Amino acid sequence: MIVTKNLKKAFGNHMVLNGIDETIQKGEKVVVIGPSGSGKSTFLRCLNLLEVPTEGEIWFDDQLITDSKTDINMVRRKMGMVFQQFNLFPHLTVKENITLAPVKLGIMNKEKANQKAMDLLNRIGLTDKANAYPNQLSGGQKQRIAIIRALAMNPEVMLFDEPTSALDPEMVGEVLDLMTQLAEEGMTMVVVTHEMRFAKKVATRVLFMDEGRIVEQNSPDEFFEHPKHPRLQEFLSKIL
Amino acid sequence: MDNIMKALLRVWEIISDWAVDIYMSFYNALIPDQMYLAYIDGLVVTILISLMAIILGIAIGILVAVLKVTSINYKLRWLNRICNIYINVIRGTPLMVQLLIIYNLIFTSRNTNEIVVGAVCFGINSGAYVAEIIRAGIESIDKGQMEAGRSLGLNYITTMRMIILPQAVKNILPALGNEFITLIKETSVAGAIAVTDLTKAAQYVGSRTWDILPPLIITAVCYLIMVMGLSKLLSIFERRLARGDRH
Repeated sequence: MIVTKNLKKAFGNHMVLNGIDETIQKGEKVVVIGPSGSGKSTFLRCLNLLEVPTEGEIWFDDQLITDSKTDINMVRRKMGMVFQQFNLFPHLTVKENITLAPVKLGIMNKEKANQKAMDLLNRIGLTDKANAYPNQLSGGQKQRIAIIRALAMNPEVMLFDEPTSALDPEMVGEVLDLMTQLAEEGMTMVVVTHEMRFAKKVATRVLFMDEGRIVEQNSPDEFFEHPKHPRLQEFLSKIL
Repeated sequence: MDNIMKALLRVWEIISDWAVDIYMSFYNALIPDQMYLAYIDGLVVTILISLMAIILGIAIGILVAVLKVTSINYKLRWLNRICNIYINVIRGTPLMVQLLIIYNLIFTSRNTNEIVVGAVCFGINSGAYVAEIIRAGIESIDKGQMEAGRSLGLNYITTMRMIILPQAVKNILPALGNEFITLIKETSVAGAIAVTDLTKAAQYVGSRTWDILPPLIITAVCYLIMVMGLSKLLSIFERRLARGDRH
């Protein structure tokens, strides 16, 4: 579904991604972990071209999206993204946050989008917040709404960029529960996170990145029980 | 006792004479020959010029601000340079000189409507200031807002229009209000290109009554009322836009 070939990204002289070849199949739940500065967020942000790669190719559904002729806006409709800082639109109500893109892009009419928004809010038990503004919500509520805002576009894949890192510890659970639900429904997911328990429970594959490369990848059991690369062993010994 | 009464009477006479004088001079500046119509005509012209200039200023300001921010994001150096030239030239030269240059540029070619020329000039002038205010407003919005909009498949322009600008406007409304207040007052130099605005009307009345002070004070009060009205309007706007901030 997503294929990257020799993906490189430099900020000035600093190489953040050092050639990444990776294939993500439909239905996979790929969790990316690694120390800060390893390029894992940059890798994720390259997948929907929020960062433009310096070199290399990215293919999505057999379409070369790094080609300048590709309409990236059409591609992004199929790739939902969830940010560390939620990035809800503070001047719009919760319902407007969810319906803005589908309506503006002509995917749904206003009525249908509203219905869809209420269905999604019902799913996360926040229908009573439909007309609230984001600043009236807790962090966990904001992030769950950010997730369903992306879901309203019916994406084929969801990208999560450290979705729980900005949350109070007691709110991490509700966000991870929703993500686990999504995974169980078969959504293709790429998740950058520090939540090892989530990785163990949900991932079909775990990638370890260091210094702009994927150093090791494996099924979660093998990955956490029998790490091979010394850098990964060191990393896991520090955090587990 | 008698002397004190006489003195008080004298003082009273002086004060009442003075009051009558003031009343008469304002009366003469307003009522004979339907002089008040001159102020009303001038006021209409001032409001007309201000309104057109504000609309034009906002349009130019948004355009230049968005072009500038876009040119920085997409590294279009020539576009950035053009915007900077416009802003520097306008901010670096006196409004009066700009007004005269534009007036002579257009007026020499054919008969034109001075009011429109004035409005265009004040609009172009205001646009430079508004552009800088809006640019600062756009840059004050968190980068994540643009990313969130783009990641949903909205294009750059739509994200700007639906997500960034509405939030920016809320932040910059006080500064923008200031600019509009300045603009209204600055239109008082429009008389230099033969526009009979409020200030020019006052001078006209003064030259007829041989008493310039009363019409000038009347004019000052008119400007004050306009500016206070605008301030009131802006504060209502601000309050309405702040609804998303409530916790």
